[in-house]
Amino acid sequence: MQLSFQKGSRSLILGGLLLVMMAIFVARLFYLQIIKHDDYVAQAAAEQVKPLTIPAKRGLIYAMDGEQPVQLVMNQTVYTMFVDPQTVTNPTKVMDVVRRVAGGNLRPNIDKLIAKKDTRYQIIGTKLTRQQAELIKKEELKGVGFQEMSQRVYPEGGLAAQTLGFVNAEGNGQYGIEEALNDRLVGHDGLLKSVTDISGVPLTIGNQNINKPAKNGENIALTIDRNVQAYAEKALAAGLQRSHATHGSVIVMDPQSGKVMAMANLPSYNPAEYTKVEDASAFNNPVITKPYEPGSDIKTFTVATGLDRGAIQPDSTYVNTDSIKVEDRTITNATKGQTGTITMQTALNYSLNTGMVTVAQRLGDGKNITLDARRTIYDYFHNRFAFGQKTGIELAGEQPGIIISPDDQEGNAVRYSNMTFGQGMDLTMIQVASAFGALINGGTYYSPTVVAGTVDTNGTLKPASPKPSRSGVISAESSAKLHEMVHTARATFYAKNDKPGYDVGGKTGTSQTIENGKYVDNQTIGTYLGYGGDSAPRYVIMVEVSGKGLNLQGNKDAMPIFTDISNWMIDYLKLQPRG
Amino acid sequence: MSYQTTSQFYSSRRQTNWNRNQNTVAFVSSVKLGPVAHTVLIALMITVLGLVYLTQATRATGYDYEAQKIDSQIAELSTKKGDLEVENARLTALENVQNSNVAKAMTTPAATDYVR
Repeated sequence: MQLSFQKGSRSLILGGLLLVMMAIFVARLFYLQIIKHDDYVAQAAAEQVKPLTIPAKRGLIYAMDGEQPVQLVMNQTVYTMFVDPQTVTNPTKVMDVVRRVAGGNLRPNIDKLIAKKDTRYQIIGTKLTRQQAELIKKEELKGVGFQEMSQRVYPEGGLAAQTLGFVNAEGNGQYGIEEALNDRLVGHDGLLKSVTDISGVPLTIGNQNINKPAKNGENIALTIDRNVQAYAEKALAAGLQRSHATHGSVIVMDPQSGKVMAMANLPSYNPAEYTKVEDASAFNNPVITKPYEPGSDIKTFTVATGLDRGAIQPDSTYVNTDSIKVEDRTITNATKGQTGTITMQTALNYSLNTGMVTVAQRLGDGKNITLDARRTIYDYFHNRFAFGQKTGIELAGEQPGIIISPDDQEGNAVRYSNMTFGQGMDLTMIQVASAFGALINGGTYYSPTVVAGTVDTNGTLKPASPKPSRSGVISAESSAKLHEMVHTARATFYAKNDKPGYDVGGKTGTSQTIENGKYVDNQTIGTYLGYGGDSAPRYVIMVEVSGKGLNLQGNKDAMPIFTDISNWMIDYLKLQPRG
Repeated sequence: MSYQTTSQFYSSRRQTNWNRNQNTVAFVSSVKLGPVAHTVLIALMITVLGLVYLTQATRATGYDYEAQKIDSQIAELSTKKGDLEVENARLTALENVQNSNVAKAMTTPAATDYVR
């Protein structure tokens, strides 16, 4: 039997309608699933697949405690507390609880913030500790939430503040090592891209999951020794109080490696409260950022140049009349009375400008500071001692200073005569201290560094590769002679200040300052540059004190700070007396 | 339309295309399944396989929640560890050590001798 629809029957019409409807469904499904496939997959992925950033931890900064690295800058998780005013049902309870638990972290007028019913997000507290956040969470306050964030903490307070710098609200390092090594410290955020459920929990379904772990920043160990740094800051503060100076800086270096053991500046600040600093100049590190005319400290370099070139010996003599003529200018001594035939050692002891100009003349034809003499001085000062150029220390904001070439129109004999006693050029303390290390260590210039290495997760120090050094800056023989001369220069007047049996030497400096383009006599900068050690120099210390309208002297105001730190260093480094 | 039975097929095959190691006996089931039964069986198999898939997928998702819970615990413990490290560093900071009773009780040695 064969079944067939009757022509024009309702069943046939219904069948036809169903067929048409099925055709429409098929067409629509074809459109949605085939033609618009990619669009809808993308929409679904946007809804279900959530990219979550895995934040990298910023690297820690360590100082040294002898040979052991200790944490100087750390990270701590803190919480920002916010409310959704529309969700808060019991504002009185919210205020009572948060005031009781986190009163010091609350914003003023939180009652008004909570009452802003036309908003959905109001921050009412910042930098809450984990314990505070947990206590508040336990109260199950409706409409109160927490946002986790990381902040820098400083267990040693403001120690070495300008060397460290700080991290701003955007997470970028500012000033100091934080800015200079920001790329190494910051690390790289990771990415977790995954299908999530409605509450955002990542699920391991789907084939679009990405799990790229975060790479934390490097933990950097500084060469700064926290004990030396703390003592240098203390000694500097005491020295400023004695002299009534308003600004001061100290650098302590190892002349055998170029490692900076301490770098102290006043006024200073606490990096944890950098937002409260009113004068932003407190962020600067004048040891590297403030070139100035270093004054008589430079006489050690002039003598070193003369010794190395064979132009003078420590017992070479000249006739001192307390003044000397250079072209149309007359240069006089600050210390008068040592007239007659005197040695270069005496000229250094009494810091006589005439002696230094004589050295410069003997580098030329013996009577004039010729172009050859100026080129020799420039070669030593700029090329060998690296004056007037950045040292490459790993800190932000280093300035190169200025030293005029003899081939420049301004590089004439008068300028170079001034340069022999520290005027007519602008140098930073880091340049002077680093080069001084080369003068007394046998003639090797070590580039200054504040980075000792990196610290792994177990707290083990991995030393950094040594920075480039240059030997033969001056000969070992010249270095030995200068070493003895600088020791004698200090011992002649100040031996009683030093612990007996140790090798301590130094040179005072009192620099005139320039106001409105002219040297003024009522405002001077006091400096002292020296070293100490046992069988070999173990530390170089440079001190600078200054203040607006103050006459500060190298021997009276800066040297006592050097002496204080030097005597302490001898004990700290456990140096044994000679003989 | 006519069909050749299996036995007839093999019989003729044996006669015409016999080869070594070739089965010469075939099992012929006495149970005959019709097209409806086949459809039902296939539907059942698909359902069972679907259930197996769903079970496994749900179980994997359950692991995700466990993993998430453990991750949260790790993060919390890590935060606590960080807090303790900060506290330790604060307690051993120079200023705290210098102000401690032990440090205050210390005296400067009157003389120092050196072993040579």
